[in-house]
Order: sequence, then C-alpha cells, then structure tokens
Amino acid sequence: MIKGFYAAVSAMVVGATRQETLAHNLANLDTPGFKQILNTMDEFTHTSVLFSPGNVTHSPVLRPVGNLGLGVELNPEATNFSAGALKITGNKLDFAIQGEGFFRLLTPDGERYTRDGRFLVDAQGNLVNINGFKVLDQNGQAIILPEGATPEVSTDGTLRVEGQVVAQIGLALFDDPENQLGRDQFNTFRALGAPSNNPEIPRGLIHQGALEMSNVNPSQLMAQMVMIARSYEAAQQMAQLQDELLGQAIRTLGRI
Amino acid sequence: MASLYHVLHISRQDMLARLDDLDLTSNNLANVNTIGYKRSRANFQELFEDATKSGTWIAATQLFVTQGALKQTGRALDLAIQGEGFFAVRLPDGRTGYTRDGQFNLDAQGQLVTAAGYPLIWEGQIPTDATDIEIDRDGIVRVQQGQTWRAVGRIGLSRFSNPSALQEFGNNIWLETPASGPAQNGSAGNGRWGQIVARALEQSNVNLAEEIAHLISLQRNFQMSVRAFQQTDQMINQAIHLRRA
Repeated sequence: MIKGFYAAVSAMVVGATRQETLAHNLANLDTPGFKQILNTMDEFTHTSVLFSPGNVTHSPVLRPVGNLGLGVELNPEATNFSAGALKITGNKLDFAIQGEGFFRLLTPDGERYTRDGRFLVDAQGNLVNINGFKVLDQNGQAIILPEGATPEVSTDGTLRVEGQVVAQIGLALFDDPENQLGRDQFNTFRALGAPSNNPEIPRGLIHQGALEMSNVNPSQLMAQMVMIARSYEAAQQMAQLQDELLGQAIRTLGRI
Repeated sequence: MASLYHVLHISRQDMLARLDDLDLTSNNLANVNTIGYKRSRANFQELFEDATKSGTWIAATQLFVTQGALKQTGRALDLAIQGEGFFAVRLPDGRTGYTRDGQFNLDAQGQLVTAAGYPLIWEGQIPTDATDIEIDRDGIVRVQQGQTWRAVGRIGLSRFSNPSALQEFGNNIWLETPASGPAQNGSAGNGRWGQIVARALEQSNVNLAEEIAHLISLQRNFQMSVRAFQQTDQMINQAIHLRRA
C-alpha cells in the first residue's frame, strides 16, 4: 500500500520540476537566442506483484500476476535547439544566424557558444556581446573595429568597414548540439567536446540588423501549464487516497 | 530537486524585470516628440547561474544613438547635429553632461544655455552688444555688432567610442561611463564629428509602431508570468493540504 503512496508523491515531485522548467522557459519567451529546456520523464522502476491463487494459509505458492510501477522519474534535462523566428531590429550590430552554427564568445571561463547576436563595440573597439565578452572571428581572434566605424556584414559573416575586409565573424559548428553542448550562464553553451567544424555541415547565413528570438512557443507553454496543474492535482489526490486507505487499514485490521 | 518556492521566485523575478522594461518602454513612448531624444532597449538574458534555472534578468540597457530626422525651425539658436557627437553642458554639480537637444537660449549673463538652463561648454563668449547671431556647419559662431559681423568662438562636439553605454542623467542628458570610453572633443564637421545645422532641431529616434508592438508583447508576457505564479501558488497549497483533515 505504501508503494502506491511513494508513486503518487514521485509524480508530485516531478510536477514541481516541470513547473520550474515551465516558469524558466516562460521568463525567456522574449530572450534572443534562448533555447527551450525540455523535461522528459520515464517510469522509475517496477516490481512484480505476487498473489496466491487460493487461500493464503493453505497455499504457500505465490504467482506473479503482473507489474506494479513505482512512480515516475525525470531524465536529464535536454535542450531544444530548433531555430527561433528572426526579428528585424534595424540595428547594425544585431546579428542572427539562419541555419547551423553558433557565435563564438571569449568569456573569463573560456570559449562559449551562443545564438544571441546582440553585439556592440566597446571603448577599445572590440566587437563584444552585451556582457562585454569578445566576439571571436573564424580564427578565434578578437574582432577589432576602427574608431567610429559602422560595419557592413555579408551573409557569410565577412565584416567590412568602408569596403575593407576586417574579419569574418566566426561560427562554431556542431554535428549534434544536443549531445555536444551543455547549457551555461549568459545565454551561452559550453562545448562538451571540440566543435566538429565538419565541412559537410553548411555554415548558417548571418543576417545583419536582425535577431533570432527565443524558440519558446507561448501557446504550447500555456497548454503545458494546464497539463502540469492537472497531473499535479491528480497525484495529490492519489497520495491523499493512499493515506486514507492506510488509515482505514490501521483502524479496521487492528480491531480484532 | 525543484522547490516550488524557487519557482515562485522565478516568476516574481520575471514580473519585476517586465516592470522595468515597461518603465523603459513608457519612457521611450513619452519621448516620441522630445528633441534630441535617443531610445533605449532592455537586453533580457537567461539567468542560469550555478546551473540553476532562475528565469530572466536585464543584463544591460542599450542606448541607440541613431540619427533622428531634422526639422527646420528658423530660430538662430536651434542647433541640430547631423552625424556623430553631443553638445557638452556644465551640470550644476560641476560634472559634464552630453546632449543632442540643441534648443539653446541666451541667459542674463550672455551664456548659451539649454532649455533646462545648463550652460553649453564652448570656446567663446557672446558680446553683450551683439544684435544678431549665426552659427555655421563647423560650429563657428558669428555675431553682428553694429554693421559688422565677426567670429566670436566655436562650438565643439564630443563623441564616444561606445555611445551605447552612456548613462542617462535625465533631462535628455547623458553621462560618460567607463564602458562608453572618455569623451573625445573635436570640431564639428571634422573627421568623425558630425556637422551642426542651425535653425533646425533633431527629432526623437523613437519608432512609435515598434514601441507599441513591444508594449503589447510585454503585457502578454506579464500576464503569462502572473498565471504561472498563481498556478505555482495553487500547487504549494495542494502540497500543504496533502493530508485531508
């Protein structure tokens, strides 16, 4: 009987985590380059239910009659790397990638990868992101712009100032971002292995004056929110019921 | 393991950040007709410190110093900047402020002052017996005394390596910050410094349609965070009342 109680509570625990992920995704509905976090669940484990075919006292043989699930558990979080919609901003230092690849940023913790292309030029002339991390070119070097220049960037990432090529904005390519990248702070990802930079993967196009918005879908989230609420409620009711049954068993069976 | 109280905190943080964005957007909207105003954007970012999902935060606000349209006014002391640069003004606390609002006046001491009364920092002095004034594209100020015109000084402009990091002071005035780099003072119309256009004013660079569209999505985002907050509250309530009386 207590097995059922644990199973119901495990569903409540999972519900709380799903709600956390939902609130986090919802908070980043409008964050450029944000990639949605996904939760997946699996049955925790199961045990076989043994039952004696006749009277328990006369027949010691127990026969398995089926399996009883012991609840639900969460799998490790995954990231949905699907593309977000491109939004035109008209700002010369906003960039969006259409297709494969990630911008390369030099952070104090090492190189990080992002789809968030909100850049600016710092007081030293470096192209940086909004946190001040340097944006790297194809060779892993910082991009330094001449004073006061407005860059023109073509879709292959070539950055020109007054017609002169200054650098090519670097893109890191990953064959399998789901398994090669881990979520990090500041809208970035860290590589769990070296970027593949596989020549077979076509490099994405870079659009100047646009941003790739979050890939979170608000209608989907709202529907998900109802589902989480209802399954949490059901789990709570189940836990309550188990508790009541247990109480009844204690009261009646102990009366002999 | 997720605590539902932390989930409440995520939604709370989200709502507070949206309120800050609402302030900023309202400010942009309120200044759609303010001379020399430059719009700002709140840069939202995922908050994921110590591998904990914590929602969103405003990593930075960014000033967009794109050129506004020029409007002819015909008034000699209305100045607009075409190109890069700011007018430097002396603030009451002694600091230097920077503005693109060129609605100047002469005060009782014969100083050029902004509409808010801050004196313009420039090299020159307007004589008290001047009867007329003309300012040319290079910022050279000429005055008429009797029948003769003579140059009495020059208005310079200040530009920044990273103007998007200027800090708002209020009154349409910005201050330099370490991120903006120091002010580089130069002559108008020279190199990267813009030209001064007299008898004209620079309009605000706020795009009304864009701001209203942003306001709509902002409101919807806020509504959804409120919904998530309420639902988390209900889940906490259900957990508390797990045992039926």
